[in-house]
Amino acid sequence: MKISNILGLNARTKLYSYKYNTIVGKKNADSKIQTARVLKKAGIAHPLLYKKFKSLSEIDEYNWEGLPDSFALKPSRGLGGEGIIVVKKRALQRVDANTQNSDRSGNGGMKKLKDVWITTQRDRVSVQDLKLHTMDILEGAYSMGNVPDVAFIQEYVGRHKAFRKYAYRGTPDIRIIVFNKVPVMAMMRLPTKESGGRANLHQGAIGLGVDIATGITTKAIWHERQIRYKPGTNRKLHGIKIPNWTKVLETAVSAQMVSGLGYLGVDIVLHPEKGPMVLEYNAQPGLQIQLANMAGLKKRLERVEGLQVRDAEHGVKIAKALFLERFSDRVKVEEGILTVGIWEDVKIVTAEGGKVKVRAKIDTGAWKTSIDNKLAESLGLLQDNNILWTKVYKSSLGKELRKVIGIKFYLAGRRIRTIANVANRGNLRTPLIIGRRDLNGFLVKSG
Amino acid sequence: MYKKLFIVAVFLFILGLILPGSLRAQKIYLTPSPIPTFSPEPESLPKPDITQKSPETLGPLEEILQKQKLGAVWPTNPIKYAIRGAVKAGVPANTLVLLLLLPLVALVIAVARNIIGIRGFGIFLPASLSVVFVAIGPVVGIGLFLVIVLVSTSVRIIFRKLKIKLQYLPRMALILWAVVFAVLGVLFSAPYVKFSQLTNVSIFAVLILVLLAEDFIRVQLGKSAKTAIGITSETLVLSLFSYLFLTLKPLQSYVLLNPEITLLVVGFADFMLARYSGLRLRELWRFRKLISS
Repeated sequence: MKISNILGLNARTKLYSYKYNTIVGKKNADSKIQTARVLKKAGIAHPLLYKKFKSLSEIDEYNWEGLPDSFALKPSRGLGGEGIIVVKKRALQRVDANTQNSDRSGNGGMKKLKDVWITTQRDRVSVQDLKLHTMDILEGAYSMGNVPDVAFIQEYVGRHKAFRKYAYRGTPDIRIIVFNKVPVMAMMRLPTKESGGRANLHQGAIGLGVDIATGITTKAIWHERQIRYKPGTNRKLHGIKIPNWTKVLETAVSAQMVSGLGYLGVDIVLHPEKGPMVLEYNAQPGLQIQLANMAGLKKRLERVEGLQVRDAEHGVKIAKALFLERFSDRVKVEEGILTVGIWEDVKIVTAEGGKVKVRAKIDTGAWKTSIDNKLAESLGLLQDNNILWTKVYKSSLGKELRKVIGIKFYLAGRRIRTIANVANRGNLRTPLIIGRRDLNGFLVKSG
Repeated sequence: MYKKLFIVAVFLFILGLILPGSLRAQKIYLTPSPIPTFSPEPESLPKPDITQKSPETLGPLEEILQKQKLGAVWPTNPIKYAIRGAVKAGVPANTLVLLLLLPLVALVIAVARNIIGIRGFGIFLPASLSVVFVAIGPVVGIGLFLVIVLVSTSVRIIFRKLKIKLQYLPRMALILWAVVFAVLGVLFSAPYVKFSQLTNVSIFAVLILVLLAEDFIRVQLGKSAKTAIGITSETLVLSLFSYLFLTLKPLQSYVLLNPEITLLVVGFADFMLARYSGLRLRELWRFRKLISS
């Protein structure tokens, strides 16, 4: 890989952060309460805020015993997970079998204490502990520069059942780098025993690279080293499919659009029932995501810079078309290399989902796949929501401005999902020409 | 693992450069430290009159200043004349030299960060630390720092083990209380440990070391002890390296005699550095697997 593909700290700051992030945006990202306010106004799903603490008197006046069994107490301006207490359940106390008030909750002789909880690190916290912690937060113990801060209590989002076998006692989150309304790279962070249930890579969580097109995990890093199996087990870390992936991406992009930040990392959690929710904004997302995906961010950012993106749906479509992981190596091993001739019958998937047989030219002299505009129109592929962008193309037909669309077709039985530019091929032998970019894993037999 | 070895190696190398020099009793006058001196006689000692050009009252830097022949004030010499005026009025030349060298130190730290990738706790702390090293010597400086970090970490752990839960600021105040005990202890050991540089410990040095310890604790709480130790060692390496810069006699002379060029060049270099958007050396190492794939 070329060094220029990789995003370093200098480039992140000079070319992207400073250029595309507004002051208001940075303020939003620094304060979790501000973030929640912005998200609520835009109607984007996020964990509910139960209570904000701005002054010491509010701490004493609040009805702590009235809190649910699970919640998170956080500083608004805490850095990277500092100062957060997450409780999962109330502590249980053995009930004397002879007591008159034995509870009927079916806890097997245990009753729930009203004022003691168990955290995700298996510590006990009482109301007194929580009050003290809140006072510390207000004093600025966890904020940048130790400035006085605001504390708040937020809904606890539990672990989705899809990740039950992978995340240790904590909730994994998905970090998506969004630039110019396009999600460019994604990483899932799995809490481990070492990280104490926190999804923080510095503290020992595992980072999983995620293919933007499919939401399937690809590679894993742990302490900046590549791993393939969950530590201490035989469980594969690649091939995990994240549920609701398109919705996750669209939520991230919608969140970016209201954030005031042109380049940022959006952290998303998957609520078991309510679906993807935005947890926080990061105006300076870390660079490890590149190691988790074994891909360079800079190249992707340059690809996306300057594109006219209409909305979240459009941005997600562009991302899926551009940043598709090519599993061609694995495919070659599993299916072998397929041989094709210069002229092949190809089945294109229409907008409705049907398949239409079309004659195509396999041309290794061309880089990108190109389709005739009348054919694309008749297949329903020229609808607005399928057009990704327009670009100037140089070909044997000269220089012209062409639309680029997403396209799916079957070549020799293998499904290929890619992008194609739309040109007038009415005078040419075939309405579809397939270029080198999509011929990975094929052998072209001429003559 | 190799990263840590590298940092330790650099540390030892620089220490090896400094130790021989610092073990000789170097008398370094700096900004006056508020330590009262006792005079054996009731009358005060006569102050050396530095407006007189008698040789015994001139320090080495003042001598160098004297030797330089100056042309007209404009356009290339305004600061040179200003320096001489200030020195005549009593401002120590040492102070001026250190001030003129500070932008250079800041540039060095910025280059170390943006091109090599050595992080420290910002720019102010490493730069101040390097001046602290000039004042009290790097050995005493690092020694004191280790003492401060050890004491503050132990106090925090003791509080946690004994389950004493206090509010944030009183907790910090108690830690500082314990730290002062420790620093006093080091100073009280002066009659027994015949280390001449211990007597140079000024209050400013201690305060700056406490600032460093505070940052160390913050990172330790937030990220991990490993990260905290890492960034702190890098800060120390940066400070030691800058300390070398500050004590280089030829550099001191040059800066004192050519302040205009120095300031202009350093300012220009700062701007040029800001334009660099490539990878840092450390990132080339961090992403080596990406580059070779």
